[in-house]
Amino acid sequence: MNAKKRTIGVVAVGDVPELAPKVIAAHVSGYLKLAAEILTPLAHPAYAFDDIRCQYDAGKILSYLESCPYDHYDKIIGVFNVDLFVPTFTHVFGEAKQAGMHALVSLFRLAEGHEGNNPSSPLLFERAAKVALHELGHLFNLFHCEHRNCLMHYSGGLEDLDVCPLYFCRYCSTYFQDALAHH
Amino acid sequence: MKNKMNIMIVDDEKIVRESLFHWFTKLGHTVEKASSGFEALERLEKNPFDLLFVDIRMPQMNGIELLEKVKQAYPETIVIIITAYGSIETAVKAMQLGASDYLLKPFKPDYLSLVMEKITQQIKLSSEYNYLKGRLEKITRFDDIIGQGPAMTRIFDLIPEVAQSDASILLVGETGTGKELVAKAIHAKSKRSHFPFIPINCGAIPDSLLESELFGHQKGAFTGATRSRKGFLEVVSGGTLFLDEIGEVSSKMQIDLLRVLEEKKITRVGNSYPTPVDFRLISATRQDLEQQIAAGHFREDFFYRINVITIPIPPLRERKEDIPLLIEHFLEKFSHETAKQVDHVTRETIRHLIAYEWPGNVRELENAIERAVVLSKSRTIDIEDFSFLQAPTPMPSKARSLREMEKYHIQRILEECGWNITRAAKILDINRVTLHKKIKRFDMQKDA
Repeated sequence: MNAKKRTIGVVAVGDVPELAPKVIAAHVSGYLKLAAEILTPLAHPAYAFDDIRCQYDAGKILSYLESCPYDHYDKIIGVFNVDLFVPTFTHVFGEAKQAGMHALVSLFRLAEGHEGNNPSSPLLFERAAKVALHELGHLFNLFHCEHRNCLMHYSGGLEDLDVCPLYFCRYCSTYFQDALAHH
Repeated sequence: MKNKMNIMIVDDEKIVRESLFHWFTKLGHTVEKASSGFEALERLEKNPFDLLFVDIRMPQMNGIELLEKVKQAYPETIVIIITAYGSIETAVKAMQLGASDYLLKPFKPDYLSLVMEKITQQIKLSSEYNYLKGRLEKITRFDDIIGQGPAMTRIFDLIPEVAQSDASILLVGETGTGKELVAKAIHAKSKRSHFPFIPINCGAIPDSLLESELFGHQKGAFTGATRSRKGFLEVVSGGTLFLDEIGEVSSKMQIDLLRVLEEKKITRVGNSYPTPVDFRLISATRQDLEQQIAAGHFREDFFYRINVITIPIPPLRERKEDIPLLIEHFLEKFSHETAKQVDHVTRETIRHLIAYEWPGNVRELENAIERAVVLSKSRTIDIEDFSFLQAPTPMPSKARSLREMEKYHIQRILEECGWNITRAAKILDINRVTLHKKIKRFDMQKDA
């Protein structure tokens, strides 16, 4: 593994479109001005499959990623194409522990058009990038923001996500810069 | 309104606690976790919570039992029931017991978001309602004289009776016993209640100013009287005039007031035409006016005019049975005013407060509770929160000499008057220079 400090690692887990981690890495560098690197893909997360819910447990995947030797990266973003859940919720688009090191992004529920059809690839990848940057915000200890025009505003559904911008509001931007400075 | 809440997740499943913990933490709320109903109640005793998420199925104490206990002890805490096993009966029961919502696991993340928006609105409305309710109560409620002992019960019985007549009333009691509250209650129960209630502290206004305040003045009556002004005796028209510390009124003013009470007319300062007035007079004093009459400091005819009915107000030390009730009342009042949830007092503290002599009476108790609530760091007030209360000056155990007794008495009066030399000298019936000499001779000092 390449030894790079203060770099965000983006890793595809399982069967994920090749372009997805690349788009996410490009958005991390483009919008957050952080170095991003695509890592060697990991195998399908069969260990996290829940037989009752027929979904993948985000908590188990996070625990697995924590056990992986990614010591040379500041934060890791795992990209999936499986349906993720946490016990209380029906599903999650992404998951991250506040001020943690690992975040998850799932394309599974993002691949839905407004009329139930498949969305265009650009829209799907833009959604994935938004979820990734939002979760990355949590990894840098940013909370949900009340401003609708902010990447850290909570998006409960795809409609919310589509109107959410790819950038932070003035306050969250300051918090993010502070977090980077003290990281 | 605060947007960030204190939230507790109560669930025996660690994974659920963790999941919701992370979700709410991301929203910036302060979140605690409890794995059982018992742990939740323990945490509630230590800190107030705005919102509880309670799982129904838990061993030992289920969610419904916990909901019942929480709503009984902390009705202001919002409870949302969550469960994986939905049934209409349980949902209905939870809502009947005061749950604000009922969530079936797993729920859509945006649904929880909606629930949170609803709760925020609910808290905002409830806070506004409580504020307005408090304001309304302050405006309309005059029966906030607290007491259930025989002394206060007698006063409660007397208030509506004396309110019906127009006879002058004299309230006699120490400072801080609530004389003005009784006066307000009499006014509120009287036929004059729709007219003004004007309280005037005669002891706080210099005599020359008091004349102008009461009688009003014509433009040019004295230097600085640039325009005519109605006095309180005119302004109060139809209502009740409350003259506190009537014993402090000068002889000249006593004559003027006596004339007003007899003739029901006043003449403004600088005017020669009398104006008719209509008011009911309630006076109050902490002095023994009969003694003042005997000493030639108070007019007997004026005394009988203002003293058609006398109501003695007992000091707090003579109605200690009311102290727990007063504590509860002031705790509620100041918890609301300061928006701090301080609603418990330890038994030891109550015993300590009952044992204290309260020289400043109910007002001192009120101030003490306010201070304790403001400074308290938990929801329970402890004995240490009242460490500022001064222990009464102990009577020297072997105080037998006249000198020791004199020192003790002077010390006590000084403390009662807050070391106001003028007031203490007046009570001791000696002049200020003599009092200063005695303080120096006995080497007495004001406690820090």
